[in-house]
Amino acid sequence: MTTAPRPNPLLSDRDVDFQLYEVLDATSLCALPAFAEHSRDTFTLLLDSTRRFAREVLYPTYRDMDAQPPSFRDGRVHVHPLMRELYPRLVELGLLTATRPPDVGGQQLPLTVHAVSTAYLMAANLNVYAWLGLTLGAAHLLEVFGTPEVKATFMEPMYRGEWTGTMALTEPQAGSSLADVRTRATPAPDGSWRIQGSKIFISGADQDFSENVVHLTLARIEGAEGGTRGISLFAVPSRRPEGGTLVDNDVRVAGVIHKIGWKGIPSLALNYGESGDCHGWLVGPPGRGLACMFQMMNEARIMVGMNGVATATVAYHEAVAYARERPQGRPTGVRDATRPQTPIIEHADVRRMLLRQKAIVEGGLSLLLAASYQADLAGHGQDEATRQRAGLLVDLLTPVAKSFPAERGFEANALAVQVHGGYGYSSEYLPEAWLRDQKLNSIHEGTTGIQGLDLLGRKVVAGGGAALQSFAEEVGTTVARARAAGVTPEWGEALEQALAETTTVVTELGARGMSGEVELMLRHSADFLELFSVLAVAWRWLAQAAAAKEALGRGAPDADFYEGKLAAAQYWFAVELPRVPLLARLCRTGEDSYARMRPEWF
Amino acid sequence: MKILVTAKRVEDPESKIKVKPDGSGIVQEGLKYKINPFDEIGVEEGLRLVAKHQGEVVVVSIGGKEVQEQLRHALAMGAHRAVWVNHTGPVDQLGIAALLQKVVEKEQPDLVILGKQSIDDDQNQVGQYLAEFLGWGQATFASKVESMESEQEKNKVPAIVLTADKKSVQVIREVDNGLATVECQLPAVVTTDLRLNQPRYASLPGIMKAKSKPIEELTPAKLSVDVTPAIQVLKMSSPPARKAGIKVADVPALVEKLHNEAKVV
Repeated sequence: MTTAPRPNPLLSDRDVDFQLYEVLDATSLCALPAFAEHSRDTFTLLLDSTRRFAREVLYPTYRDMDAQPPSFRDGRVHVHPLMRELYPRLVELGLLTATRPPDVGGQQLPLTVHAVSTAYLMAANLNVYAWLGLTLGAAHLLEVFGTPEVKATFMEPMYRGEWTGTMALTEPQAGSSLADVRTRATPAPDGSWRIQGSKIFISGADQDFSENVVHLTLARIEGAEGGTRGISLFAVPSRRPEGGTLVDNDVRVAGVIHKIGWKGIPSLALNYGESGDCHGWLVGPPGRGLACMFQMMNEARIMVGMNGVATATVAYHEAVAYARERPQGRPTGVRDATRPQTPIIEHADVRRMLLRQKAIVEGGLSLLLAASYQADLAGHGQDEATRQRAGLLVDLLTPVAKSFPAERGFEANALAVQVHGGYGYSSEYLPEAWLRDQKLNSIHEGTTGIQGLDLLGRKVVAGGGAALQSFAEEVGTTVARARAAGVTPEWGEALEQALAETTTVVTELGARGMSGEVELMLRHSADFLELFSVLAVAWRWLAQAAAAKEALGRGAPDADFYEGKLAAAQYWFAVELPRVPLLARLCRTGEDSYARMRPEWF
Repeated sequence: MKILVTAKRVEDPESKIKVKPDGSGIVQEGLKYKINPFDEIGVEEGLRLVAKHQGEVVVVSIGGKEVQEQLRHALAMGAHRAVWVNHTGPVDQLGIAALLQKVVEKEQPDLVILGKQSIDDDQNQVGQYLAEFLGWGQATFASKVESMESEQEKNKVPAIVLTADKKSVQVIREVDNGLATVECQLPAVVTTDLRLNQPRYASLPGIMKAKSKPIEELTPAKLSVDVTPAIQVLKMSSPPARKAGIKVADVPALVEKLHNEAKVV
C-alpha cells in the first residue's frame, strides 16, 4: 500500500516527548522556584509553536538560502531577502529571551525545553536560526557582565530583536590560540575605548535586515601583559548611537569567506578602526575577557552540539522516507526478475545504515538533553550542593555534547547521502547540503581537538575527581533503573565495566600529568574523547532502553516505537561499547605511532 | 467589537487513528489532540479584526476538562478570555448548536466565527444550525488566498471587512467557481475556510500570559440545554482498502467497462 509522502518531520515529535517525559522528567524542573511559572502545558504549547514554525515557515526556505549566499556589494553584505521577513517572525516566538529572567523581558524557560525547541528550528534551516543563536549569546554576555549603560545601549535592542550580535574572537594568527589576540584597545577621554585590529571568520558580522550589529570583541588593552590574561572584552557596534542617531563606527567588512555550508549566514573578515574612529565599550573587568567568554562557553557549546543533532536528524528522516519509497532489487535469494522490486529499506545493509543514524541522532539528542537538564539544575537547583554537583556534570559533559554530534553527526549525514545512492551525491537532493553544513560543527566553538584536551586535561580531573564521581553515580542510577525495568542485564554490566575502565584510565593519566609527563597524558586526548563519548552515549541508550521497557511493561500503545528504541540500544551495546577497551589501551599505553612520527616523514 | 470563536478539540491527523474492533468508536489511547485547524483560522481572523477595530475575542469549547488545552492554545495566540462548556457525554451537532446559541445569548457578540467544519467528522453543519437558531445572517466558507504572509500581505483587503457604518460585514466566500463577496448584517455567523489566513504561532510571552486569562465554566444544565443526541452513531469502520486496478487492452474496452460496469458513461 502506498501513502502520500509526508513532509520531513525534522525531529520525531514522539521521540522528543519520550526524551523529555519518559527518559528524563522535564516537568520535575517546574518544582524549582525559578521555573515555577512553567508546566508541561507551557512546554507543549511552545514546542507546538516552534515545530510548526520550523516545518511550515523555515524548512521551505532552506534550499533557496543554501543556493543563494549573501552577496558583498559596496562594502556591505546583502543577505537573502527572506531574512527581512523571517528574522522578526523568529524573534516573535520569544526565543531570544526565553531562558532569561523576567527583568530582561524573559520567561525563565528551562534550557532543556529551549534546547529541544531550537533543535527543530536548526533542523529546518540553520541559516536563519544562526542569527538568533549568535544574538542570544552576545546579549547574554552583556546581561551578565555589562554595566547598566552598556546593557541599556546594546543588550536591550538585541533582546528586542532590533539588532543582531556576534562573537568576534578569531584573528588570522589567533584561532584556537586565543592567547595570541592582537586587536588593540586604547582608552578615550569619554570613558569608552578606541579599537584597532582585524578579525576573521566572524559569523553574521554584517547584514541588511536590521539596523545594527554588535560585535563582542576580544582585544588587548594598550600596555596589557601578553597571553590570555592581557585580553579584555568589548562591545563594538557597527553603528554607534550618537546624538540620538546611529553613526558609522568604523568597522569595515574586509572580505567575505566563501564557505561550503551555513551559506545563509556570512562569515566575514572585519577591520576595526581603519580611520581611528572605532569606539568600543568595556565589558567585565580589564584582562578578564577570556574568562567572561568562557563562562558562557558551556551554553554556546551545547548549542553547537544541538546543531549537530539537528543537522543529522533532518537527514536521517529524509533517508528513512527515501528508503521506504525507493524500490531497488529484490530480497536476498529471490531471482525472479518479474517480481516487482522491493523498497531498499528491506535490505539489511540499508537498515544497518538507518539504525546507525538513529543510534547517533537519538543518542545524541538524549545526551544533549541530559546535559541541558544538568545546566538547569546548575543554575537553579534547590541548594548549593545540587547546583555545584550539576555544574561539575555540565562541565564534564559539555565537550562530549559538543563534539559527539559534530563528529558522529557528520558520519550520520554521510550515511544519509549513502542511502540515497547516486541521487544523494547530486545537488538535486538535500542530504549533500546537510553534510556540508554539519562539517562546521567540529570546527567552530572549539575544534574537536580542543574538546579532547578540555575533557582530559581539565574536566575529568576537575574537583579532584568529583566530576567523574558524580557521573559514575548518574550511570549507577541508570543501571539500577534499567535492571528494575527488565532490560537485558548484560548491557548494564557492560556499561559499568566500561566506566570502571575509564576511571582507571583517568587515574593513570592523571598520575602521569601530576608527575610532569603532560605530553604522555594528553597524547591520546582525541581517543579519550571518543572513548568517553561512546560511554556517555551508551549511558543515554541504557536510559532510553529502561524507559522503553517500562512503557512496554505497562502495555503502553505504540509498541513499534519502543521496540525501535530497544533495537537501537542493542546496536550501541553490540557495536560501539566494545570499542572502549581498545581506546582505553591506546590512552594507557601511550601508543606512539603519531607521537614519534616526524614532520619530514609525511 | 466582540467576537466569539469556537475552539473544538480534535484528534491530531498526525496520530495513528484506529477504529475499535467493536466499531463503537476510535481507540483514544496514545492519540494526540489539537485545536480544529478551521477554528484556529477563526481565532486568527478574530484577532485581526479586533486589532483593527478594538474589542475582544472570546473563545468557546465544549467537552471535558481536556478541552481547556485547546482554549489555552487560543488564549496563547491572543484571545482575551474563554468559555468552557463542561460536558463529557455524547452530543450531536444540533446539541452543539443549541449550547452555542445559549452562550451567544449570554455573551452577546457582534460576530461568531466557527470553522466551516471540524477535521474529525467533517460534518459542516454547526455554523449553519447556529445561524438558524439565532435567526442571524450567515456567511459560510470565508476565504482568501494567502501565500506566506508578509506585512504587505496582511494589509491587503482581508476576507472579512467591517463596513463603514459598522453595522454589517462583507465576506469573501469560496464558491465552486471562484470567490463571491456577500454582505451580512451584524450580528452574524461566519464560518472559515482553509485559505482564509495563516494562523499565527503562539509566542512564549503569549503562552505565559494565557495562564492568567480567565476560563469561565458552564454546563448544559446551567445553560438549560438538553443535549440528548437526536442522532445515534450505530457503528464506525475504516474505509475499505482500495483494490488493485486492472489494465484494459484498448479504448473500446475501457468505454465498455465504464458503460457497463461503472455505469458512468
